[in-house]
Amino acid sequence: MAAISFDAVQKSFARSGKSFLAVDRIDLVIADKEFVAIVGPSGCGKTTCLRMVAGFESPSAGTVSVDGRRVTGPGPDRAVVFQQFALFPWKTVHDNIGLGLRNKGVAREERESRIAKAIALMNLQGHETAFPHQLSGGMQQRVAIARAYVLDPDVLLMDEPFGSLDAQTRITMQEELVRLARLNPRTVLFITHSVEEAVYLADRVVVMSRRPGRLKEVIDVRSVRVAEKWDRIERIEDVMDHESFIHWRTHIWRSLREEKEEV
Amino acid sequence: MNPVQSHVLTRAEILGYGALGLIAFLGLWSFLSLSGVVPHQFLPAPHEVAARFVALTSNPFAGATLQQHLASSALRFAYGFLLGAAIGIPLGLLMGWFRVLDEIVTPLFDALRFVAPIAWVPFAALWFGTGIGGPILIIFAGAFPPCLINAYRGARFVSRPLIEAAQMLGTGNLRIIVEVLLPASTASIVAGLRVSAGLGWQSLIGAELIVASTGVGFMMVQAQLDISTTTVMSAMIAIGLVGVVIDVALRALEAAVRRRGLA
Amino acid sequence: MSRRSAIGLLTIATLALVWYLTTMPLEWISPGRFPSPLDVWDALRQVSTTGYANGVLYQHIVHSVSLVVLGFLVAAGTGVPLGLLMGASARAEALINPIFLLIRPIPPLAWIPLAILWLGLGDAAKIMVIWFAAFVPSVINSYTGVRTIEPAVIEAARMLGTPRRRFVREVLVPAAAPMIFTGLRLSLQASWTTLVAAELVGAIYGLGKILNVAQTDIYPGMIFVGMACVAIFGWVTTRLLAELETRSLTWIPLAEARP
Repeated sequence: MAAISFDAVQKSFARSGKSFLAVDRIDLVIADKEFVAIVGPSGCGKTTCLRMVAGFESPSAGTVSVDGRRVTGPGPDRAVVFQQFALFPWKTVHDNIGLGLRNKGVAREERESRIAKAIALMNLQGHETAFPHQLSGGMQQRVAIARAYVLDPDVLLMDEPFGSLDAQTRITMQEELVRLARLNPRTVLFITHSVEEAVYLADRVVVMSRRPGRLKEVIDVRSVRVAEKWDRIERIEDVMDHESFIHWRTHIWRSLREEKEEV
Repeated sequence: MNPVQSHVLTRAEILGYGALGLIAFLGLWSFLSLSGVVPHQFLPAPHEVAARFVALTSNPFAGATLQQHLASSALRFAYGFLLGAAIGIPLGLLMGWFRVLDEIVTPLFDALRFVAPIAWVPFAALWFGTGIGGPILIIFAGAFPPCLINAYRGARFVSRPLIEAAQMLGTGNLRIIVEVLLPASTASIVAGLRVSAGLGWQSLIGAELIVASTGVGFMMVQAQLDISTTTVMSAMIAIGLVGVVIDVALRALEAAVRRRGLA
Repeated sequence: MSRRSAIGLLTIATLALVWYLTTMPLEWISPGRFPSPLDVWDALRQVSTTGYANGVLYQHIVHSVSLVVLGFLVAAGTGVPLGLLMGASARAEALINPIFLLIRPIPPLAWIPLAILWLGLGDAAKIMVIWFAAFVPSVINSYTGVRTIEPAVIEAARMLGTPRRRFVREVLVPAAAPMIFTGLRLSLQASWTTLVAAELVGAIYGLGKILNVAQTDIYPGMIFVGMACVAIFGWVTTRLLAELETRSLTWIPLAEARP
């Protein structure tokens, strides 16, 4: 059973009386525990696709389903990591991570142990009682990821999660995410502007056309990664040195450029 | 779009609910008044108030018609408000630039700030009798602080690079104040003018309740002594209307400022 | 002592000196116009011991301060929930907004004659006027506080499956808290202004009453005492509110402290 399924999905928005088509016709099936990245030019509707899986928007036509059931609203089974972190500034790190568990009615003892594990997983030890404003961007995003992970969600939805971070922190977080994905694999839908990030992280990369967004190409990176053995390598700069990485990265770049230049 | 309100209403629905609310309000009022639940003398029905309002525009009460009273009030307000702005804005800009001035004036200002403008009435009466100076002083007491504070804040928090650029170009102090600080603070100053006008108009009414022989405030006191509730309410409506007109005019000014890119 | 406080102190000291000199030895300002420091001292003694305007100073102070606080609490207690409701529910907003827009332009002080007509010169009329004055800023600011919550934070709360009561208590209210406090500050200011005005127009006792009687008696020293008390207790109540705000909003970075 597919973890996420887009079935003839279309989405239009009404803006100042006129309606415009954001997403044209998406048919996509994401398998269980697969890591899929979507790249595309600005405004192509990739974030909209994620928001439809999250349940913040509903499709104008077609169906978006998770585990065979149609998505009707947001919920902790589809945890979201936002670009702006969206942590609750008035709650400590500990309480930010714990809110989802409290909503699920998890008993205190189990809750505390799960929070502790999430904190350890994201290297946040020692910061449990800090408030978000006391943390750097990278740490705040770690808290957001911990908050998502602690829910043990079926699906993890990440909307340009590293977009607000400086270049160096971004690279650190990408490596962490790969490590996490190996320790704790689950279905991930990852939106990004960065082609390198997508090729480094994902099993498959979906390239969207410019608005109205359509699926332009779907590239299977995983088979290349396994064949070329860069899944054994830890460091980004070593992975990025591989010819096959460069090949696919350039290929996707060219594909995106076509979208930009067809004006 | 703020997703707190999970229901987005159509324009028709908004108007519908609004009309419903208004009708319920007026209906309740009329019912309480006409059924005698509240003594009619104290709560005349809405249509009676409206009739009285119209009557007051041709039949004088307490020495003048409604518009004549409004005119005297408006004149006093204009003087006091313009005086407040004429002193407050330049002083605020100067204080924002010359630290010494700030250090001298601020303690004084802080000491006087907590005296509600209305508390100046006794001294105003003592010094000016029933002359126009009294109300002007009180309006000034209300209108001056926001003008000062907003001009000060505007000047103090002008973006540093702008000032540094001006200094690099060899701009003298006076020119910096007039050609850099003033334009850069325009948005803040205009916002201050709006608050100031509101407070000034309020203070005027308060002053007229106590020391005046013409004006809407005076009219209200006379009506209260005569137990003419319809007149009191008509005056309240007139005061509200003038307040709205002043606010709308200043909002338009704010919008014009924004359009010219000064905000 | 910092330079800023030193200069401040110097300015106040200079002014005090000027005040003393112009009113006493030099008599540039006549005593009928503005009181000298001695006049003020005499008035203060009188009102504190033998009393003035139907009461002794501390009675007037207690009376005024309790009315302000009571009126403020009633206004905030009704205004904040209403503002939050209007912010969170589009229906509530659409229903209530027109009525609110009708009432809002009427300056609070303009309610005084009506209040006197309805409730006389006693405390009830004062509370009514304070309520009208202080209610509006609480509603508006609480409403704005809800409307300006970062959308992603709301979405995160929904994603985490937060049930309604918890959502209001742990997300809506804390998120709107900074603006709620701004509204409370404005409400307190409005409460003081309105109370003093109401007492000036007509009252049995209170600080405004002192001002009223002193005005009729042409007693500048007492007017000064009245004004000074208004300023001092206005400051005290404002500081208490500010303390409450700092303690409640421990999670705000210091850089955002308001001037």
